[in-house]
Amino acid sequence: MGLTGYLLLAAALFSLGVFGVVTRRNAIGVLASVELMANAVNLNLVAFSRHHAGPTGQVFALFSIALTVAEVVVGLALVLLLFRAKGDVRIELASELKD
Amino acid sequence: MNLLFGLSPFLAVGVGALLLMLAEAFGKPNVAPGVETTDAGAGRAGELALGAAVILVIGAVLSVAVWVAGPESLPELTQVAPHLVIDKFTLFFSFTLCVGGALAALLAGGYLPEHGIDRSEFFPLLLLSTVGAMALSAAGDLLTLFVALETMSLGVYSLIGLRRGSPRAAEAALKYFLLGSFAAAIMLFGLALLYGATGHTDLAGIGAAVRSIGSPGSTVSAGKILISLVLVLVGLAFKVSAVPFHQWTPDAYEGAPTPAATYMAVAVKSAAFAVLLRVLLVGFGDERLASWGAGWPPALAVLAVLSMTVANLVAGRQESVKRMLAYSSIAHAGYALVGVVAAMRSPEAVSAVAFYLLAYTVSTAGAFGALILCGSRGAEAVSYEDLAGVGKRHPAAALAFSLFLFSLAGLPPTAGFFGKLYVFRTAIDSGLYTLAILGLVNSVIGAYYYLRVMVYLYMREPAPGAPRAVTMRSGFVATALVAAAIFVLLLGMAPGFTLDMASGAALTAR
Amino acid sequence: MSELVQVYLPMFLVFAVGAAIVAVFWLGGHYLGPKNPNPEKLQPYECGNDSDGARGVRMSVKFYLTAILFVVFDIEAVFIYPWAVLFKGLGWTGFLTMLAFIAALLVALAYCWKKGALEWES
Repeated sequence: MGLTGYLLLAAALFSLGVFGVVTRRNAIGVLASVELMANAVNLNLVAFSRHHAGPTGQVFALFSIALTVAEVVVGLALVLLLFRAKGDVRIELASELKD
Repeated sequence: MNLLFGLSPFLAVGVGALLLMLAEAFGKPNVAPGVETTDAGAGRAGELALGAAVILVIGAVLSVAVWVAGPESLPELTQVAPHLVIDKFTLFFSFTLCVGGALAALLAGGYLPEHGIDRSEFFPLLLLSTVGAMALSAAGDLLTLFVALETMSLGVYSLIGLRRGSPRAAEAALKYFLLGSFAAAIMLFGLALLYGATGHTDLAGIGAAVRSIGSPGSTVSAGKILISLVLVLVGLAFKVSAVPFHQWTPDAYEGAPTPAATYMAVAVKSAAFAVLLRVLLVGFGDERLASWGAGWPPALAVLAVLSMTVANLVAGRQESVKRMLAYSSIAHAGYALVGVVAAMRSPEAVSAVAFYLLAYTVSTAGAFGALILCGSRGAEAVSYEDLAGVGKRHPAAALAFSLFLFSLAGLPPTAGFFGKLYVFRTAIDSGLYTLAILGLVNSVIGAYYYLRVMVYLYMREPAPGAPRAVTMRSGFVATALVAAAIFVLLLGMAPGFTLDMASGAALTAR
Repeated sequence: MSELVQVYLPMFLVFAVGAAIVAVFWLGGHYLGPKNPNPEKLQPYECGNDSDGARGVRMSVKFYLTAILFVVFDIEAVFIYPWAVLFKGLGWTGFLTMLAFIAALLVALAYCWKKGALEWES
């Protein structure tokens, strides 16, 4: 499978993630969808790394994984915070357009 | 040795953050006798705020020191390039960021104890986030760009959620976090494509690869470059809160403790503008992408006009002063974007944006600080009504507030006036007449809601029986306000020195 | 115009194909998958055992905290592995860099410890 295959798979995963972020109402679900997007990018990075025959993309992917983990940890902590304060983790990202 | 000196602003704040963490965890809690606590930071907001402010001031002083010594005379700095590019542009921004962070730390030193938010984690988090912001302004490589962006953002997400037990704060923090990581993922996709299309992660290499498009033998795909440009722009527009990527701003600012909102408004925005300028001019500086007909300038011009207009129209209808200041920060992102668009033609515009952001930083931090000063425990000043009559009861607070509002509105003799003048002049010099005129018109509209605050401060009396705002007393807040006021007046009456410094900050990589 | 199409075409293609694949999987599962539910099938899957108790059993928050800390410290190994593989080639610079990295981690660990995040009983 060539580069294109990986890119298409990554684009599909990324689109799934975007779809999840837009449709999910549960904060954990949104978080998981964002992680899916980040992992699609990691796939891209590794595929590009092979395409360019250098380690840069893989290093980038490692950093990206570590940062994603840090992000998840902060996100989970915030979910816990909301749960303790409100007893519910549903969230309307598109609400509050009351301006 | 020279390397350490060149990196000293970053090292000072970074090592300082770690030391402050230890100081916070291993100190003795300062609570009333008989009160049991397991939190070593309890009741110590004052000393920790002082520590954080001192560390950030050291960072600012070291930035100036390296600036004066001249980063170009320190050849060892190429060892860390392109991951960290230490040039005058970086140093000017790291100075701005340290000043903004220090003001936010001082405000927190007064605000947190007053409002019973006993969370001394605030200060280490603030410092760590500032390290990220400084690294972001120095990032010359996609890898450091992303790492620094996340370091800055993760700190900020936590700062917003610090008010325990408040559903509003928790919801604001979570919402900002989810949207922020969504935007970061989109941007990361763009960065990956950029690497895939060019084979480089350093911005200079990417810039060279983009220039090679169309020349024989070039394998760089213009399509991928354009997609990545769009995706990166979306991510950064979110961070600078430009319309239409601004929806999170008012909620996040309102839910956050006011000093955290201050930090977001000044430091996060300035750092995001720094990296925006560098990415666009160094990475996408090719004439075909940086022209009025194609590429990023028209897209950014649209964002600029939308940000100024929408934010100004909505800000005038707010009942909460904190929300008004949030929309004001969106409008200011619009004005600064005018300068970014002008940067496609004139290198001077980069200095204009740098100067503008410094002026904006001190004015906004001052305005938030004055708002903090107008309220006290159980009676936080939020709405316009809360401010009624403050001018008579607490003239000093009202005077400080007015000064900062003058500066935000862009009236002389304040920093904001020269900031706007400089940005709009470079826009006119670059032939962007429409943008400059729209900016001016918007400044006039914007003056309306700033002056409205002053009407309440000086000309209204609180309704009988309504809760009156009682100003708080705090040496920290007072210090921050005095420092910000000195900056605002200094930049407004004698801007020459700072303008000279800013003009050295032009990006040289082009 | 044709140039514009040429430039943007790959972009639209990537996103269109991505969206199409998503749509195929999603709609395919929705329409093609046989659906004959019975009470047995509707039970929550619990590793083949009969499920005991209602859903929504509250887990102690302590588990989250421990898990969060584990994940944070665990992922740092990602950076130490490549360093260990290249240890000889990196020389003293590499050693000192990693020392600084671990020192920062130690500060974080000390912070967690002192703040009581590692206490199970409290």
